[in-house]
Amino acid sequence: MRVSVQAFANLKAFAPGGDGEVSLPEGATVRDLLARLAIPPGVEAVVLVNGRRAGGEQRLSAGDRLVLFPPMEGG
Amino acid sequence: MYGWCGRILRVDLTRGRITTEALDPGIARDWIGGRGFGIHYLRREVPPACDPLGPENKVVLATGPLTGTAAPTGARYVATTRSPLTGAITCSNSGGFFPAELKKSGWDAVIVEGSAPAPVYLWIDGERAELRPAGHFWGKTTHETDDLLRAETHAEAKTAVIGPAGERRVRFAALMNDRDRAAGRAGVGAVFGAKHLKGIAVRGEGEVALADPAAFKAANAAFRGRFKEKTRDNPPPLRLHGTAITVVGTQSHGVFPTRNFREGQFEGWEAIYGETLTRKYLVRPKACFSCPIACGRVTRIPEGPYRGEGEGPEYETVYALGSNCGVDDLAALTKANYLCNELGLDTISMGGAIACAMELFERGLLTEAETGMALRWGDGAALVELTRRTGLREGFGDLLAEGSLRLAARCGAPELAMVAKGLDFAGYDPRGEQGMGLAYATSPIGGSHMRGDPAYFELLGVPVAADPHSWEDKPPLIAKWQDVFCVIDAAGLCVFFSVRYLVEPDLMIRPVGITELLNGATGAGYTPEEVERIGERIFNAERLYILAAGFGRKDDTLPPRILKEPMPSGPAKGLVCRLEEMLGPYYRVRGWSAEGVPTREKLASLGLL
Repeated sequence: MRVSVQAFANLKAFAPGGDGEVSLPEGATVRDLLARLAIPPGVEAVVLVNGRRAGGEQRLSAGDRLVLFPPMEGG
Repeated sequence: MYGWCGRILRVDLTRGRITTEALDPGIARDWIGGRGFGIHYLRREVPPACDPLGPENKVVLATGPLTGTAAPTGARYVATTRSPLTGAITCSNSGGFFPAELKKSGWDAVIVEGSAPAPVYLWIDGERAELRPAGHFWGKTTHETDDLLRAETHAEAKTAVIGPAGERRVRFAALMNDRDRAAGRAGVGAVFGAKHLKGIAVRGEGEVALADPAAFKAANAAFRGRFKEKTRDNPPPLRLHGTAITVVGTQSHGVFPTRNFREGQFEGWEAIYGETLTRKYLVRPKACFSCPIACGRVTRIPEGPYRGEGEGPEYETVYALGSNCGVDDLAALTKANYLCNELGLDTISMGGAIACAMELFERGLLTEAETGMALRWGDGAALVELTRRTGLREGFGDLLAEGSLRLAARCGAPELAMVAKGLDFAGYDPRGEQGMGLAYATSPIGGSHMRGDPAYFELLGVPVAADPHSWEDKPPLIAKWQDVFCVIDAAGLCVFFSVRYLVEPDLMIRPVGITELLNGATGAGYTPEEVERIGERIFNAERLYILAAGFGRKDDTLPPRILKEPMPSGPAKGLVCRLEEMLGPYYRVRGWSAEGVPTREKLASLGLL
């Protein structure tokens, strides 16, 4: 299945190239995606799936839209 | 005294008299400083029924014990006064270098009272202070005034001044320090203008005396070390891209206010968010005094009709002058930001008023005969021109200068002003961020996010995350965060550092690190519990003041759009803000009656009887 990923600030360095899509096996989780993007464990990421915050164990579905950004100090 | 200078400067503009007062050590201990001193003196000295633009109103400019020290972000001060925009208080907060300089000049606070017969400025040169004529500065922009004041006093002096907007009593005029930092919200600049006080220049070469320099240094090194360690693999997004990177958090959650809060996602967001700002206009990041983050933006628009240089835009400005007006022209909104800084206007309320006017125009409640131009969503040129006219109160700008609520009420549609207690919302739609709705509704200044900012845990993952759509869990969290923000604002610190590095990383944040720094500086021997209680005292004292000014449960509310019109699209689609469900439990957590009045028991426990 394919999901789309947008990443921001320092996490941009780990974003998929091209159309921003990633292929994952059926049943893959958020954690699997982070591993695929090779985001090191010490690098913090807030992950949204379709506009809702997701934990590492959340299973992904084809067509999910993911947004990754670092925790922010405010606006 | 340590941490505190122990001295307050009182400036009677009516009589042209300046006096010095000793800071009572008991008051210092009970209120800490900054926002705490502000409400303490306001309650004691300013009648809640006074005309905010009359001589009875006062402005308390107060630093905290950590202002001017090496504490991370010990840069801030608070301007407290009765607001000419809302009739409630404002306790507007700013950083830069002026507050630290004021502290180093040997003063904890300046209390400005009365009204000068002709324009003056205040020159504080260490222990000496004098009022000087400012007629020749009247009409000058904030940047011109900063240049002229420093030429007339000291090249290294730091200034806090008003621009033409404050002189003309624009109800949301800002007090601008260090040229581009703003004590922005709810009209401190208009109060200065009404008092004929053009500004303050200060020069201070002293150092803040510390009670326990070794302990202070150790705590400071530990917190800075924590920051350094964390940011080694996680460079601060605010340093990389400024606060405008926060668009990512609000847009992706569907709470990025768009076209006067009709929608929560803006199709043009990529054109105006932080990374685009970095790529197109960033010259360099800029830090306030003693700040390791450096979220400030020095920017330049290199070409085109809006060519120029300045600072900003911040996130709130990108929302207010951008998405909320449907404007995706980054050059235009940056130019409007520069104008706000130079004329001395709050960018949030400026954007709120223009967005409201655009909706009124679309509905036919305002006509071109009244406005002098078509007001259409997304018109960057109109945005720039309306900002200029507002700052000078020219033409239709004279109506915008009264703020969104008065404008909408005049057009027969007050419900179209996106405000709480008359103060325009910050850049978060409460329908998709329930805690923010409660925070707006119960903030003592009205629609501010900075009086206990739930965006941290609802959107930004700091210090840990909570569900933005849930409301049942929010009342105790909002009360807690409001109290801790009182502490941060009283200590002289910046929220941006404090909420990540000076509290325990738990939803119910505890000001443990702040307490440690306060103790090293002052020797007060506070416990974290006592510091939390001081935060609660400050918040309740502010509540008492606005209750006496006529506010109550009826005013702890939000516009019908937020309470009744479901969000039309995006991740928060279908939601309204469940304020009514949150308000009762919130009052109970606070120890307030069903009418939102602190009980005698609560007041007694806080020493407020």
